[in-house]
Amino acid sequence: MTAKVAIVGAGPSGCYLAQALGKLCKEAEITVIEKLPVPFGLARYGVAPDHQGTKAVTRQFAKLFEKQGVGFAGNLEIGTSPSAALSLEELRALFDVVVLATGLSQDRSPGRDFEGTPGIYGSGAVTRLWNSHPEAAEFSPEFGARVVVLGAGNVAIDVLRLLAKAEDDFAGSDFPAGGAYDQVREIHLVGRSPADQAKFDPVMIRELAKIPGLAVSIGEGTALNSGEDDKRLAALRDLATAQPDAITKKISFHFGWPAKKPLRSNGTLSGVLFERDGEEMALPCDSVISAIGYEDDGKLNRSALLDGASTHETGQIAPGLYAAGWFKRGPQGTIPENRADSQKIAALIAEEIAAAPAGAEKPGVAALQAQFGNRMTSYSDWQHIDDVEKAAAPEGRCRAKISNLPEMLAVIENRRQAL
Amino acid sequence: MKISLLYGTETGNAELLCEELQEALSDGHEVDVANLEDVSPDALSAEAFYVFVCSTYGEGELPSSAIDFFTALTEEKPDLSGIRFAVFGLGDTTYDETFNNGSTILADSLVAANAQQIGPRGVHDASGDEDAESIALPWLQERLAEAS
Repeated sequence: MTAKVAIVGAGPSGCYLAQALGKLCKEAEITVIEKLPVPFGLARYGVAPDHQGTKAVTRQFAKLFEKQGVGFAGNLEIGTSPSAALSLEELRALFDVVVLATGLSQDRSPGRDFEGTPGIYGSGAVTRLWNSHPEAAEFSPEFGARVVVLGAGNVAIDVLRLLAKAEDDFAGSDFPAGGAYDQVREIHLVGRSPADQAKFDPVMIRELAKIPGLAVSIGEGTALNSGEDDKRLAALRDLATAQPDAITKKISFHFGWPAKKPLRSNGTLSGVLFERDGEEMALPCDSVISAIGYEDDGKLNRSALLDGASTHETGQIAPGLYAAGWFKRGPQGTIPENRADSQKIAALIAEEIAAAPAGAEKPGVAALQAQFGNRMTSYSDWQHIDDVEKAAAPEGRCRAKISNLPEMLAVIENRRQAL
Repeated sequence: MKISLLYGTETGNAELLCEELQEALSDGHEVDVANLEDVSPDALSAEAFYVFVCSTYGEGELPSSAIDFFTALTEEKPDLSGIRFAVFGLGDTTYDETFNNGSTILADSLVAANAQQIGPRGVHDASGDEDAESIALPWLQERLAEAS
């Protein structure tokens, strides 16, 4: 009996799990199922487009599908949404083991007062746009000249950097050609916690120093309040000390200011009000990008699944059902941390497979092929998209991503017809 | 020649490169691959030629899987006279101030323990156009020629 394993979600956590499980259970049939027609999830669509070195983990994942016998089943959504091909229960009936590794992609709201206000965007939506995610195809935010970025983690710094860069600074990336935000003149990054509790990494700050023309300052109401040995604050001080000859954009960092509410003038956004200990600070702006974390989109009943399981910390929700990555751990942890966690979960799954009594053979990926045949995309479909995108790369870019679903599917269909 | 490829990794890229090099060298050489976290410095042997493939993480630090090896090397101070090695670093020039620091730290600590470094350190830039294997394989063939 061959164990049939389905991993839902082709991002880093799902791929690392497939990698580790493939080494532990050489006989298992492992299939990575992905909602989009193409693989790699966060590595392709979440990691900033000017961090190609970080995106290079996809080379490892490519190897899974090219040489290590792992299957890819794209364009298949699992869950409760109307676009889903299969429910989780239906999928579990086809496989011995199902692993949920769909991440957490929905932006956490900065508060009810901010919801429904035009000009307020989430970092997830904006990052998807900058990574040409098909679900961002209809998204066209207006940032204006002055932007407030809420949050002080690495994602907030990513947002700040991509708003700050000029066209030439995107050389080598796959940021949309001609997409630099020249009209943005002033960016305020505001963290609710004091500076010494901010979550960004110092290398992220030092990277900003390489962008020409930025005048960086620390907000008047912000104290960089820690010992000299804090590398993050030292990096910030260095950045704020170096002033360029010709200023193109102004960047300002503020810490210890929780956002209270958006300010409106004649119905449009005019600023954000912050408050701490009865003291207020108003920052005028034309748009707000909230980078304060992610949450579940509800499409896989995550909270009910995890709450109902006594062993979810190990990744096992029930025999034959596991969670991995952010879906399991919540919206924290880097790619390496999730890799280590996926390796542990793979070891548990390998134990379950080894201990399983011989039973009826599950159909596995063959059932998906029988039921969804043509609409499912394969790894070779992705390789074709990859080739097309690289061949279309304009000057100064490593690829031109296909940014909408119909075009992606049409490119795949054209190749299939030509074969 | 018996070749031992040892990787220090955070994301698995160094592991992948070792597996690719092992495959490329397997005709004509006896090649094994191990994670540095499973290797102790006093287990190194003068019979083998060691190739350390090591990334850099965070503030120019060693990746997690190299840390125990490095700690043993610097605290227990084993005498590695007679041990021959080469170092290949994986880095990312997006973070140019600390580019490939991890592999430098590792090479320096091996030399300080009297191991003999063969040839210059090789480096790869993840933000560059070339994949790691296309740079590491010719580099390694030169080191093997020098070591034999």
